[in-house]
Amino acid sequence: MRLVLYTGKGGVGKTTTAAATAVCAARRGLRTLVASTDSAHSLGDVLEESLGAEPREIATNLHAVEIDARAEVERHWGRIRDYLVSLFRFQGIEDIVAEELALLPGAEEITTLLGAEGWQQSGDYDLVVLDCAPTGATLRMVTLPDVAHSALRILLRLQGALAAVVTPVARHVVPLPLPDRHVFGDADRLLYKQLRRLRRRLLDPQTSVRLVVTPERMVIDETRRAWTELSLFELGCDAVVMNRLLPDAALSEAFFADWGRLQGERLHEVEEFFAPLPVLSAPLQDDEVTGLARLAAHGEQLFGALAPNALLSAPQRVEFERRAGAYVVRIPLPEADSTALDVAKVDDELVIRAGPLRRTLALPRRMAALDLLDARLDAGWLCVRLGQPDAAEALR
Amino acid sequence: MRVLLLTGKGGVGKTSLAAATALAGAEHGHRVFLLSTDAAHSLGDAFGRPIGPSPLEVAPGVVAQEVGVLDELDRAWSEIQGWLRELLREETAEVVAEELLVFPGMEELVSLRAVREVEATGEFDLCVVDCAPTGDTLRMLRFPDALRLFMENFWEMKRQGVRALRPIVNRIIPGKLIPEEEFFDAFERLYREVEDVRQILMDADRTSARLVVNPARVVVEETRRSFAYLSLYGVATDAVLVNRVLPANAAGGYFARWAERQSEEMHEIETSFPVPILQAPLQPNEVIGPAALRDLGRGVYDERDPATVFTRARPIRLAQRSGRRVLEIDLPGASKEELRVGVHGEHLMVRVRDAERLVTLPASLAGRPVKSARLEGGVLEIVFGP
Repeated sequence: MRLVLYTGKGGVGKTTTAAATAVCAARRGLRTLVASTDSAHSLGDVLEESLGAEPREIATNLHAVEIDARAEVERHWGRIRDYLVSLFRFQGIEDIVAEELALLPGAEEITTLLGAEGWQQSGDYDLVVLDCAPTGATLRMVTLPDVAHSALRILLRLQGALAAVVTPVARHVVPLPLPDRHVFGDADRLLYKQLRRLRRRLLDPQTSVRLVVTPERMVIDETRRAWTELSLFELGCDAVVMNRLLPDAALSEAFFADWGRLQGERLHEVEEFFAPLPVLSAPLQDDEVTGLARLAAHGEQLFGALAPNALLSAPQRVEFERRAGAYVVRIPLPEADSTALDVAKVDDELVIRAGPLRRTLALPRRMAALDLLDARLDAGWLCVRLGQPDAAEALR
Repeated sequence: MRVLLLTGKGGVGKTSLAAATALAGAEHGHRVFLLSTDAAHSLGDAFGRPIGPSPLEVAPGVVAQEVGVLDELDRAWSEIQGWLRELLREETAEVVAEELLVFPGMEELVSLRAVREVEATGEFDLCVVDCAPTGDTLRMLRFPDALRLFMENFWEMKRQGVRALRPIVNRIIPGKLIPEEEFFDAFERLYREVEDVRQILMDADRTSARLVVNPARVVVEETRRSFAYLSLYGVATDAVLVNRVLPANAAGGYFARWAERQSEEMHEIETSFPVPILQAPLQPNEVIGPAALRDLGRGVYDERDPATVFTRARPIRLAQRSGRRVLEIDLPGASKEELRVGVHGEHLMVRVRDAERLVTLPASLAGRPVKSARLEGGVLEIVFGP
């Protein structure tokens, strides 16, 4: 079973692209499910179908679902939330604010992913397409199994260490509401079982991320950084979708002449920046792309002869590690030639030239301020070392 | 110092409008600080040059900065971070652990501190903040509350307890499970700083939120919710900025249908946000660099000074009264006979004659039954049941 996640900066057309992919795949005979992790659901609007909390067949081979995040959060996090509310209330916080405070960041998104994971396991689908929240939020969502896992394990250990001594004392001193074992049980079930399973699914070779961009500089810049961060968290991308290219009919409008001139440049940049990922493109239509017929046409324009569920490129990802005080970035460059290698760090990116090949890589925040120490090719991998400026001095 | 928080759904053009607002402010003679608190910074992208975590003059009278979360954490709370890093080390690969130290909430904290630091320099009279998309911003606004209650009630007890326990626990469980004294000092410092910022943000004479929207349905829907939330957390919204409005000379031909949809949405925006609405036309070219941003600013504010408080009204208020949740909506001039109120899921629909207003309810109110609704002195008061 294939899982395809669409992400990108807000407003680039992720939902439309995800829906078009699903409709196209279903019409080509794949049993497909499309779901949205965005709590402000627009998937139903795009499909022009009223969707429910359970997958519903809206066309041959095509199921769609809008998860009722509030109900699901209640089910998965209800007891944890109730405890937090009681704690906040005890502190004299107004009810409304207490309830808002207890809404855990990311809970809705995680819950949605957990739901999707369940349907994937059902074996009912060949392809599951997920419309994910905008770049920043998606990254957090993807890291959450890690963050939450680490943080909660620490808390549990801390609690375990302190409980024996502090809790009996505290109970006498302050009648503070303490979590009962159900709260810990829920937290444990979420973290150790569900989140881990989710993480395994996200890292599965049958899972890939597709980045959606539009021909605009700011969108492209942000998405490049998102791509790097996805690598950092070990998620593989298999394609870029360039959405809303102005077709000739739109370019004949005088107002858009400059936009038209720019978009060729932007398309070229995207091909270069995101190499070796293939770039699929789709035009700006003359009206909103809603309803099955328009989505199917849009999907055909997007994929052409390609299969919507194919792995569109071999999942390659940049690796990061920390070794002896320096950071090492490992970039797969199977076709590179070491005699014509030139690596430079310009602001927060690495610019790599290997013969005719040119790659640029936006660096994670932590590494952006470091100096380039050295770079070498090793069995198809370019290894770049980055370190503190003074370390670079010492090396010279 | 006047503080403007620009926020809205992702991709609507918050950064461009924040930069345009800052440049327009400088043209009115203000000394402007332009601050990006969005972890996915785009300020540098908008100006077409790297900006980064050190303040940098990007145009005459405008100093810009992208808050670097990791650097700030290193600088300000190395004690707290050191402890966390120690704990996380065994759990995850080190590079990932460092990124993970940006816990949910940490970013917001660092960002909040930055506003205070700008104020403390005394060198600026306008601070424009390019905020993260609405969800994150709202968390940023409620963080001071969460921290306050934690500190006031929980902290002292924990601290005393931990102090007494350290020797025992350290003997049972080796490692740095229990933080050192410096950790607590750093935390208290942090608390005081955040409390300062809270004072700034809740003061409607100093701080206004400006919501950026596009004339598109999904955007308007989500922003309506943010509007209610900002009210809930006590931050005044003084204007809505509508970005990327198709100008008349671009609204025909291939774009005819888009233009029609847009005018429907403009109507929706007017009925959803009872505050001044300013429009920014779609530009004929990419808005990158000071010249293009300045044009955009003129398009939005015209001759007006962006530092103006465009409205002091708080048209929607949420309160708790004798155990009940009460929503108050200003409806000046409305009479009982021409008023209809209905709740549909998470939306509250208020109809006065032919005018309709939709309020998207916060999660804690949505789904609750309406106990009573009454109109008095131009204020509609809706009481929710449990």
